[in-house]
Amino acid sequence: MRWGWMRREVAVAEPVLQVRALCIEWRGADGRANRVVDGVSFDLAAGATLGIAGESGSGKSTLARALLGHCRAGSAITGGSIHLDGDDLAALSEAELARRRGRVMAMVPQNPLASLTFHMPVGRQLEEVLRLRAGLSAAASRLRALELFDQMGLPEAERLARRYPHQLSGGQRQRVVLACAVACDPLLLVLDEPTTALDKTTEAQVLELVRRLRRARKGAMVIVTHDLNVVADICDRVLVMQHGRIVEQGPVGAVFSAPREAYTRVLLGAALRVEEASRAAPALPGPALLEVEGLGFRYARPSLLLRRAPLGPPILDGIGLSVARGEVLGVIGESGSGKTTLGGIVAGLLDGQAGALRFDGRLLPGLARQRTREQRRRIQMVFQDPLSSLNPRRRVGDAVMRPMRLFQGLDQREAARGAAALFEELGLEPALLSRFPRQLSGGQQQRVAIARAFAAQPDLLICDEITSALDASVQAQVLDHLAAMQRRQGTAMLLITHDLAVVWRMARRVVVMQGGRILESGATEAIFRNPENPYTAALLGAASRAARAGRPELAEARE
Amino acid sequence: MIALILRRGALSLVTLFLLASFIFFATEVLPGDALDVSLSADEIANMPAEVMARRKAELGLDRPILERYLGFMDGLLRFDLGRTIITRAPVGEIIAMPLRNSVALAGVTLLLALPVALAIAMAAAQAKGRALDNAVSGAAIIGYSVPEFVTGLLLIAVFAVWWPIFPATITASTDDPLSVLLAAAPLAIATTIIGSIAYLGRILRVGLIEVMAADFVERLHLSGIPRWRIIWLHALPAAMIPGLSAAALYAASLVSGVVVVEMVFAYPGIGAELVRAVTRREVHVVQAIALAAAICVVLFNLLADLGIAALDPRTRR
Amino acid sequence: MGAALRRPAALLGGLLVVIHLVVAIAAPWIAPFAPTSLLDAPLEPPGATYWLGTDDLGRDAFSRLLWGGRVAMLVAFAAGAVAVLGGALLGLAAGYRRGGFDDVVMRLVEMKLAVPTILFVAIFVTGFGQSVPVLIVAVGIIQMMGVVRTSRAAGIVLMEQGYVRAAQLNGESGPVIILRELLPNVADLLAVEFALRASSALLLVSALSFLGLGISPPTPDWGLMVEDGMALLESEPALVLAPALCIATLVLGMNLAAEGLADALGLDAARGGGG
Repeated sequence: MRWGWMRREVAVAEPVLQVRALCIEWRGADGRANRVVDGVSFDLAAGATLGIAGESGSGKSTLARALLGHCRAGSAITGGSIHLDGDDLAALSEAELARRRGRVMAMVPQNPLASLTFHMPVGRQLEEVLRLRAGLSAAASRLRALELFDQMGLPEAERLARRYPHQLSGGQRQRVVLACAVACDPLLLVLDEPTTALDKTTEAQVLELVRRLRRARKGAMVIVTHDLNVVADICDRVLVMQHGRIVEQGPVGAVFSAPREAYTRVLLGAALRVEEASRAAPALPGPALLEVEGLGFRYARPSLLLRRAPLGPPILDGIGLSVARGEVLGVIGESGSGKTTLGGIVAGLLDGQAGALRFDGRLLPGLARQRTREQRRRIQMVFQDPLSSLNPRRRVGDAVMRPMRLFQGLDQREAARGAAALFEELGLEPALLSRFPRQLSGGQQQRVAIARAFAAQPDLLICDEITSALDASVQAQVLDHLAAMQRRQGTAMLLITHDLAVVWRMARRVVVMQGGRILESGATEAIFRNPENPYTAALLGAASRAARAGRPELAEARE
Repeated sequence: MIALILRRGALSLVTLFLLASFIFFATEVLPGDALDVSLSADEIANMPAEVMARRKAELGLDRPILERYLGFMDGLLRFDLGRTIITRAPVGEIIAMPLRNSVALAGVTLLLALPVALAIAMAAAQAKGRALDNAVSGAAIIGYSVPEFVTGLLLIAVFAVWWPIFPATITASTDDPLSVLLAAAPLAIATTIIGSIAYLGRILRVGLIEVMAADFVERLHLSGIPRWRIIWLHALPAAMIPGLSAAALYAASLVSGVVVVEMVFAYPGIGAELVRAVTRREVHVVQAIALAAAICVVLFNLLADLGIAALDPRTRR
Repeated sequence: MGAALRRPAALLGGLLVVIHLVVAIAAPWIAPFAPTSLLDAPLEPPGATYWLGTDDLGRDAFSRLLWGGRVAMLVAFAAGAVAVLGGALLGLAAGYRRGGFDDVVMRLVEMKLAVPTILFVAIFVTGFGQSVPVLIVAVGIIQMMGVVRTSRAAGIVLMEQGYVRAAQLNGESGPVIILRELLPNVADLLAVEFALRASSALLLVSALSFLGLGISPPTPDWGLMVEDGMALLESEPALVLAPALCIATLVLGMNLAAEGLADALGLDAARGGGG
C-alpha cells in the first residue's frame, strides 16, 4: 500500500487562519490578572509563512500555543476568536480540540531535548504519533517513521530510531521533533524558536529543511522567534509583538525596509549593517597590556578514588592574543566556542592548564587569590545576567562601594560620593543607590554592574555577553554608556559576545573563535567586509539577513 | 552496565566497611561496660579487685581497643557476631528471629503501602489544586505529623478497646512462623502502613506534579495523545526514578524505624531487642543490630541505584 | 510572611504552635497543681478537682499535661537551631568549595544516614548521660543531615551567580563570601528548614521518651506520660490520649506552618526530606 502525505484540499486564496481581537489573561498567585495577549488580529493564507517576532515577555509563545487551542495552567482565553479552517478554536471543547491536535494543527516545541521523552527511543515516539494520530497500523507506522526520518535528512534512520534523545545531536533532535509535527501533514504548523538552541552551522541546515517543508506543504506555517534574521530568511509576512500587542505587521520586505513604528525600528536597528562605518575607538600607543600565549584548558572530573580522573575534551586549545592599553578587542564565538572560559581565565576565576598570561609585562597567576591586590583591582568583569550579578539582599549602592572600600580604602562617606558620581556618568539617578536590585530594570541593573566594575578603576574590563539578556530597546543605551566610560577612562576591554552588531559598534579589533581555537583575528572592518574563513562568512551571512531584507539591492551584491 | 554494577558494588563494600568500623568504635567508646551494669552497686563495692579483673578478662573486656577492633573485623568476616556478655549466648542466634520478624513487617508494609501511595499520588496529581488534591495533601500531612505510637495507640483504643475486633498486643511469639505472626499483628501493620502511605504518597505526588509540568508532556498533549497514555507510558516511568531512591531510603529506614510500633504492640522485632541490649550494655548485640541495619541501608541504596540505571537511559552512555 | 498568613492551613498551623508555646510558658502559673507532687489520690477518674484524673502515682494529669511540652519543645527548638546553623555552614562550605572537601562531607552524611536514628541516640545517651544538653546535641546532629543537603544544593546554584564571581575575582576569601554573600540568600530556605527540623525533632524526642531513651522522669513529658499510661489504656484512656493528642497537634501545627512558609516563599518543602 502506498502511503503518501495526507493531502487536504484547500482553496489557496481564502485565509486558513483568522485571529480576531484575541485576548489571553494570566492569573497570578496574588489573584491579579495580567493581559498576556491583548487584542491580536491577523490572517494567514494556506501556503503562507508568518513570522511572529518579539522579545521575551511579548506574548508570542502564549499566542503560539493558543493557535493550538492550548493555554498553560493559570491562563485562559478571555476574548476574541481563532478560526482555523472555519472552526473557532476558542469555542471548542477540550475533546474536540484534542481531536484536531497533531492532525489539523501541530507544534514544533522550542527545546527538543526536554520535549522528547527521555526514556523512550525516538523511533517509538514518532511511531506513537503515527499510530494514534494518523491511524496507521504498527507495521505501517514503523515503515513510515523511517521514511519521515529520511525525509528530514536524518542519516541511518534505522539505527537512529533506536537511540534515545540524549544520544542525538541538537540538530538531529530538532529534526525528530519536526518529523513528529509534520507526520499528519497538518493544516497549521507552528514552530516555536526553531533555531535558538542551535549553533549557526546547524541553524543553517535546519532552516534549509524548513524551507523545503514550506515548499512541499500546502498548509500554513507560523514561526515564532526573537531573531529577525530567521524571519527575514524564511517568512513571507511578519508580525511584531510587544507587551502582548501587535506593533506592526505586513510583508517582510516592506516592514524591514520601511518600518513605520519606533519599536520595529529599534529591533531592526540592532541588526548588523556592515555598510555603515564602525564607531569603535582607536587604541592607545604603548606596549601590550594583556598577552595570552598558548592557553589551554580542560575540565578535570573530580574523583574520590585515587585513579586519575579522565579529562574532558579541550575547551581551549592554543589560544594566543594581545590587548593594548585602551583598546577594545572583540571576541566572537557561539556557545561552545570557549569564549566565556577564556574570559573566566583572564579574570582569575578559572585556572588555565597550559600556556601563560602576562599582564603589564609581568606573569599573571591563574587564580585571583594567587594574584596581587593590584592585579586583582586592575582586571574587572561584567557578567551576562544582570540580575544574578548583584546580591539580591544588598542595596546596589553597597555593591558599588565595596570595591572602593576594598581597594582604595575609602570610608563610607567618600565611597558613597564616588558611587554617586559613577552613577551619574552612567545615566543613573543617585537616588537609586539605596534601592535593591529587583527594584531596577534590566538595563539599570547592568549599568550598576558596570559601575561596580569601574569603581575599582581597572585597566582591563572583561565583558561577557553583557547585552544578551537585555531587551533590544535597552541594549543600545547600555552600550553607549559603556563606550563613553571606556573612552573617558581609557580602559582596555575584552568584549566577549556572539552578537556581531555589538562588536561592529564597539571593537576596533576582533578575534573569531570556534571549538576552543582562534580562527581569525584582525581589524574588525577588514574581517567583516572580507571574511577569509568560511565559518566567519557564515556567521556574517546569518547576522545580516534582516538588514539585507530591508535593502533588496544589497541582497544582490552579497549572494 | 556490568562495569556499573561492579563499581557500585565495590563502593558499597567500602561504605559497609567504614560503617562497621564506626559502629565498633562508637559502641566500644561507651563508658562502663556490661559487667558494671549487670552487678549491683553493692556487689561492685564489695568485690575484691583481682576477682573483678579476672571476670573482666574472662569476658574479654580488658584487651586494648585495637586488638578488640581486629577481633571484631575478623569475626565479621567469618560471620561470627560474638557472644552476649552476660549469658554467653551467640549473638547471631539471638537476633536472627527478631531480625526476620522486623524485615517481614517492613516488607509487608511496603508491599501494601507502595501501590496505595502511588494510586493516591496519581489521583492527587491529576486533580492538582482542586478539592481532591487538597484533601489528599491534608491527610498526608496529618499522617506523617502524628507520631507512630500515637497512631498505634489510637488504633488500639478504637479497634481493640471500644470495638474489640482485633487483639491489642501480639499473642504470637518470636519464633512462630511468619504467617502466624503477621496474622496476629493486624493493628501493628495498619500503623506502619498509615505512616508509610503518608510519607511515600507525598513524595510521589510532588514527583508526579513536576513531571506533568515537563516539556515532553506538553508536546504529547499538543500532539493530541490521550491523557491516560501520557500518564501511564510517559510520565509515570519518568516520575518513578526519583521516587525509587526515596522509596529505597525509606524502606531501609523502616526495618529499624519500626522500633516504636514494636514497643507499642509488643511485636517481637529487632527494635525491642535493641532497646533491651542498650539498657543492658550488651555491646555485641548492639553492634550486630547496627550492622544489620547498615547492611539494609547499603543494600537498598545499591538496588535503588541499579534500578535507576536500568530505568533511566541517560545514566548509561 | 503576609502571603503565608493568607493560607488557611498555614494560619491554623501557626495558631496551634502559638497556643502550645503560650501554654508551655505559662504552665507554672496556670497549672492547678505542681506536676511532680504526689497527691493522695491515685488513679482517680476525671472529675471536678482533677480535670483529667490522676496517674498511678497520684499526680494530677492535667497539670502534667500543661507542663509536659516544656522540655520537649525546648529540646526540639534548640536542636532545630543547632541543625540549621551547623547544617547551613557545612552545606554551604561543601557547595562552595566542591572537590575533596565536598566529597568527604557527602560521604559522612550518607554514612550517618545509614545509622538508625534510635541507635544513634542510644549510643549518645548511654555514653554521655540522658541530660537535656546531650539530647539537644544528639537530635541536632541527626536533623543536621537534611539541612546539609539542601544548603549544599543551594550553595552550588548560588556559586554560579555573578555577584559571587565578582567577589571571588576581587580576591575575597571563601569564609567571607559564604557569610556575606551566600548566607543571607539562603535565609528563607533556612527558615523553612528550621520549622521542618524542629517538628521532626519533636517527633523524635517524644518517641525517645516513650522508649525510655529520652527525657527522664520525674520531669513531666508527654512521651513519658504515654508510656506510663499505656498499660491503663482500657481503664483510664485520658491518661494516654490527652498527651498523645498534644504531641500530634503540636507537630501538625509545625508542619502546616512549615508548608505554608515554603509555599509563600516559593520553595518546595517536600524536597527537603531526609534525616
